[in-house]
Amino acid sequence: MSWWGAVALAAALLLGPATSGMAMPEDAVIPVEQYSTAKAKNLAVTYRAQLLQFSDHVYHCLPWLGVVKDGIGFRQPRGADSDDRYLSVWISIDQSDDGRFGKLSQERRVSAMFSRYGVDMLRRMTQQLPGITSDADVSGFSVVLSWPKPAITGSDKALVTETLALFVDKTSLGDFFAKRLPASEFIRRATFNVFEGKDLVGRVPLDVWEDNFNSTFKLKNYELEKGKKC
Amino acid sequence: MGRRIVRATLVVSVMFLTGACASSEDWKVWLGHTTHFASGDHGFFSMRNNKDGSNPRVTRADIEGARTQNWWGIYAITVSPSQIFQN
Repeated sequence: MSWWGAVALAAALLLGPATSGMAMPEDAVIPVEQYSTAKAKNLAVTYRAQLLQFSDHVYHCLPWLGVVKDGIGFRQPRGADSDDRYLSVWISIDQSDDGRFGKLSQERRVSAMFSRYGVDMLRRMTQQLPGITSDADVSGFSVVLSWPKPAITGSDKALVTETLALFVDKTSLGDFFAKRLPASEFIRRATFNVFEGKDLVGRVPLDVWEDNFNSTFKLKNYELEKGKKC
Repeated sequence: MGRRIVRATLVVSVMFLTGACASSEDWKVWLGHTTHFASGDHGFFSMRNNKDGSNPRVTRADIEGARTQNWWGIYAITVSPSQIFQN
């Protein structure tokens, strides 16, 4: 191990996993007491077991992704007037810059990440949680994706993440997956914002294309925990 | 070896004393640190190779351990949930 590796390992052991922002499956689901409305609390109680199961699925079957603490739950978009609840999953993607990613414009990076991880996550949510999909109290689905912004070579600026937060109603999402709704119309109907660090970038031109990476990739030599199935 | 351990201890101590902020030199080192879970190419995993270099196995716990080494995950400036959601 290199000297810097030893330093990093020592720091990691002292700091512990809590500071990484990643969550174990049970910590990824928002506790019921954090919700402020009866509607949200009811959804959280009704579907807690399913959400824990989904969290466990992501943890073990998509190990290259991480759900942030309290990242799964029935969220309400900031600024919403009514108590519309969206099943939301916040994923952190440990994407390093291989030289190509950083050359993309921000809107292309956002499009690439959504096409690769966002669409697949939304599909898994609708397929694996049918009871939630059909619940009248659930308005739609949401996915939040965060990844490290590619650094400029030679820059000593602090690292920031880029984040896409997207909300879409159930009907539009269902029609998009059933190929009744073109991607361009799906994006037009979706509500989303991009953030750079804590700064709001806002809505950027977003393209969606087919990318089956997340459903086909196998992490080399990954050993699934006994008793788990993917 | 002993000097290295002392230096490592000092660096970690300074990190804590300065509020766990990395210096610009630290950032430069870690900006060049390639971690790409999607490719499975991570230095941490190579440490689990068998002595003959064959059949390395990677568990979910290994991946969590590797993530704690990613400084971006610890220090990176990230949007807060309240900027996206309301309860």
